[in-house]
Amino acid sequence: MWSRIRKNVLPLCFCLLIVITILATFIGCKEEVTTTAPPVTATVTQTVAPPATTTAKPAPKDKIVVGMSRSFSGPIAIIDDSAFRPVYETWVKEVNAAGGIFVAEYGKKLPIELKTYDDKSDPATMAQLTEKLILQDKVDFLWGGGGTSFIYAQAPIANKYNYILITMEGGATTLQEMLPSLPYVFVTLPFSTWYEMPVLADMLASKGVKSAYIIYISDLHGVEYNGAAGIEFGKKGIQILGSKAVPPDIKDLSPVIKEAKASGADAFCAFAYPDQVFPAVGMSIELDYNPKVWLGGPGINFGFFHTGFGPMVEGVMGWAGWNRKSSAALNTLADKLYKDKPEDAQDWWGQAYYWAGLDMWKAAIEKAGTLDNKKVRDILATERFQTVLGETWFDKGLLNKETHAGEVGQWINGVYEVVGPFDKATAEWVYPKPAWPK
Amino acid sequence: MEDLMVIINLLALVYLGWFVDWTLKQNKSKIWLFSGLALIMLAILSTLPNYGPTYSYIMMSGILMYLILTVSWTLFSGPTGYISLAPAAFFGVGIYTSAILGKDFPVLVVVIFGGLLSVVLAAIVGALTLRLKGIYFIVFTFGLVLLISSVLLWYEIRFTGTRGRFITTANNDLIYYVMLGITVLMFITSYFLKRSKYGLALQSIGQNEEAAAHMGINVTAVKIAVFSISAIFMGMAGAIMAMKWIYLDPYSAFDPFRSFLPVLMAIFGGMKQFYGPVLGAVILAFLEEKLLTEFPYYYKLSFGIVLILVIIYLPDGLVGLGQKVRAWFSRGKIALT
Amino acid sequence: MERFLDVAIAGLLLGGLYALIAMGMSLQYGVARVFNIAHGEFIMLGAMTTWTLYTVFNISPLVAVVICGPLAFVLGFIIHRTMFRKLQSLSANQGVFESNSMLASFGLMFVIQNIAFLAWGPEIRTYNYLMETVSIGGALFGARRLVTLGFAIAIGVIFYIFLARTRIGKAIRAAGQDPSTAGLMGVNINWVLALCFGLGAAMAGIAGVLISMSYPDSANMGQEYLTVAIIVVVLGGLGSIPGSFIGGFLLGIIGSIVSFYEPGLNMAAYYAIFVILLLVRPRGIMGR
Repeated sequence: MWSRIRKNVLPLCFCLLIVITILATFIGCKEEVTTTAPPVTATVTQTVAPPATTTAKPAPKDKIVVGMSRSFSGPIAIIDDSAFRPVYETWVKEVNAAGGIFVAEYGKKLPIELKTYDDKSDPATMAQLTEKLILQDKVDFLWGGGGTSFIYAQAPIANKYNYILITMEGGATTLQEMLPSLPYVFVTLPFSTWYEMPVLADMLASKGVKSAYIIYISDLHGVEYNGAAGIEFGKKGIQILGSKAVPPDIKDLSPVIKEAKASGADAFCAFAYPDQVFPAVGMSIELDYNPKVWLGGPGINFGFFHTGFGPMVEGVMGWAGWNRKSSAALNTLADKLYKDKPEDAQDWWGQAYYWAGLDMWKAAIEKAGTLDNKKVRDILATERFQTVLGETWFDKGLLNKETHAGEVGQWINGVYEVVGPFDKATAEWVYPKPAWPK
Repeated sequence: MEDLMVIINLLALVYLGWFVDWTLKQNKSKIWLFSGLALIMLAILSTLPNYGPTYSYIMMSGILMYLILTVSWTLFSGPTGYISLAPAAFFGVGIYTSAILGKDFPVLVVVIFGGLLSVVLAAIVGALTLRLKGIYFIVFTFGLVLLISSVLLWYEIRFTGTRGRFITTANNDLIYYVMLGITVLMFITSYFLKRSKYGLALQSIGQNEEAAAHMGINVTAVKIAVFSISAIFMGMAGAIMAMKWIYLDPYSAFDPFRSFLPVLMAIFGGMKQFYGPVLGAVILAFLEEKLLTEFPYYYKLSFGIVLILVIIYLPDGLVGLGQKVRAWFSRGKIALT
Repeated sequence: MERFLDVAIAGLLLGGLYALIAMGMSLQYGVARVFNIAHGEFIMLGAMTTWTLYTVFNISPLVAVVICGPLAFVLGFIIHRTMFRKLQSLSANQGVFESNSMLASFGLMFVIQNIAFLAWGPEIRTYNYLMETVSIGGALFGARRLVTLGFAIAIGVIFYIFLARTRIGKAIRAAGQDPSTAGLMGVNINWVLALCFGLGAAMAGIAGVLISMSYPDSANMGQEYLTVAIIVVVLGGLGSIPGSFIGGFLLGIIGSIVSFYEPGLNMAAYYAIFVILLLVRPRGIMGR
């Protein structure tokens, strides 16, 4: 009995797996075919129609191809899935539903077609795939990859081939210093010194916070934020009682949290990724560590932080970029992005900025009337645009800080509110943080 | 267009691999034909940047990286049966050499330095660990990669205050030439190694280490020497490939996946012949890019299935399969006549 | 003194988890001779299933132990009866089988990981369960962690009694020492090997359930716990189950001490212990 099963099960399993994979890919292909079908027919008609008139004009085009290398698998996939992807999927659908982007050069609206590759969370693969997009696929435009270190690897490549790169999830002071040599790179996301940390330091000082304890992930992100905090907190006379680097794969944070608790600091900051911020929150609840300010890095701003921790999130602070109450336009955007979707998909830090970045990109193309990256770049670098955030422009390659709809957020009554800077706050900052609910 | 160019060049590489096998044979016929063909293949490979589109040789460099890792891995692990999961460590050493020295030295010097530092590491590791057998050796080399990356990470944060490093870039065609040069060098080295008494000694170690020792082979010395030689190519490849990737941090420089892939590629191709790993690396590296770009969500799934299937059904890899098929056909012929 | 108690107890709490993870892997290697690289993925499956059960069906994680354990057992049992059994019949000797089965388990790891990714997506999942604080001699701890420790010790003890007292336990020990002789003595060796592999998987599944109570989970979590399991298994002596039990606690305490002084070196310390141990005493603390 066993021997017969043994003989047959394994090959059968493999056959089944292979069949499933093939079926799945076929279904995937079919979907692609159906979505791209209309433009294909359009090509035929166009290529037949204009041969006589297109002597001076560029070769006819029926779509704008945008290339992206994103992390669909691996540890960074969480950033891809929860930050930029919902934005570009919704945005492209909306623009294409309106016919696309009007390009004067071709005298008509061109729909956007995305070409996305998986870099399996490896910057080296990302670098190669970016060159593939530029050189082999000859895409018209590039959109950024996920994560700060990916931008570091990608920005010089895009710049070398004179491709505009509007970056999404990521930004850093060191990148800011490089931007003058990278005229084609535009950074949308607010980051430590732009202008989160100064705002946070102001906020803390206004309530008389005297001391802070910092843990940060031993990564570019953590190092940057820790450095920025050192400078900005110092300016306001906030004493840093301890700052500990933790490796990305640390398991047990209890010794660090206990030390933070023992230090008696007014504010606790965890400049890390969801992988570390979530355990830090859990551990703080467990150890009943309730400082007056509990602030975490990326992770706090996502909807799945709330769905995961439920009522425990009350009073926890993090970085925030926008809120439904910030403006009517942002409320509409929130409807577009989050209506009828699980709360998991929400991101109250970057998504409005990515959307604004895409809006500016579209406006720049329409203004330039061409798909030529150089001309579009010149407009992006100099002009001002109306976006969901209001009047927006790139200030030396960074999305201007005046338009930021917020920097610091806090969970209040189950909503992630903007609490700083005070003139942009959508709710009053709850200080000190209430006790963890029992 | 790019794919076609790449495939032609990959075939040329496989031919060169087969040519190494052929030159090791006892009785050779048609020397001029095969050697001439080898020269033509070399010419095709070395002039690719002149006729191919830019991306074709960028892609080739990526595939050559896997080829170098796989073939140099097989150089030691194939005959001895010691499964080393350290390629990522040697490769990473090359990357960091490039990151540190790249600014001040010309490319070739950096590459050679990368190779030499890898040799030093390999010699130390070899001297310490080659007495470990079987699973212990595998696990040790695996742990080594993780140890280096986490200590480096800590060191960088603590003392240099950065996590990642920028690497001075080089032109794509230069990278390709250097990669091709390393490949050819590796082919020649393997040829001489296989012909020499060390190749035979290595083989006998793999079959029965104690017997080999009794026969008067200095087992430890041979093992360390070949282990170090195999590391030099990995280090050199790391040093030059880093210049393509611009920005790297300890975790991506010492990615353990780069240790697993060569093992899989070698087994997939079959380790009995020299061209087996070449074939395996070329096919799987080409497929990897296709999978990542066409079916991104199923990349690891297909990778895993291939690995399991190959281990169970093709213990001698593609080469073994080819031989089986040939044997089956010739048996049919004999039966007919 | 209080700090010392803090660090020590934190180490014990973490160690209990490590011990549970490692015992399963140790059993799989010690008897079935499979160095199961996919072990971490069974942990992930346990954790993610618990999360689904808790958030969708509102089933308590303590009940999930009873569901995930047997499920993982069945999965492990079937995998061994098919894949590893086939491999064993094809391998010339034990050494070849060990390397081949390890490589095959690499493949298994990728397959399970990818399927989990498709099923659950990359998001990090958490839920609130037993968030109360407990005080032991002035040192504070989470109640859920104490539950984890209790489970780890209970499972360790039950398992030890099972191995020492029952008939099947004796058969397993016999198979671990000398499979061919055990076969001659009337032990159905293939069945015992599959049983051991299944039990190892079940322990991983249960460890996953317990991990999900205290730590966030994602489809990517397997690899992290795999490295910990490998380190503990080597520390305790490859294949020695009591060794893994003690090794788990030892590593937990060491990790806790290092985290206390320099959290940046936490993982590096694990690997360093591991590498040095392999060099100095490859047989581990309890190795045969």
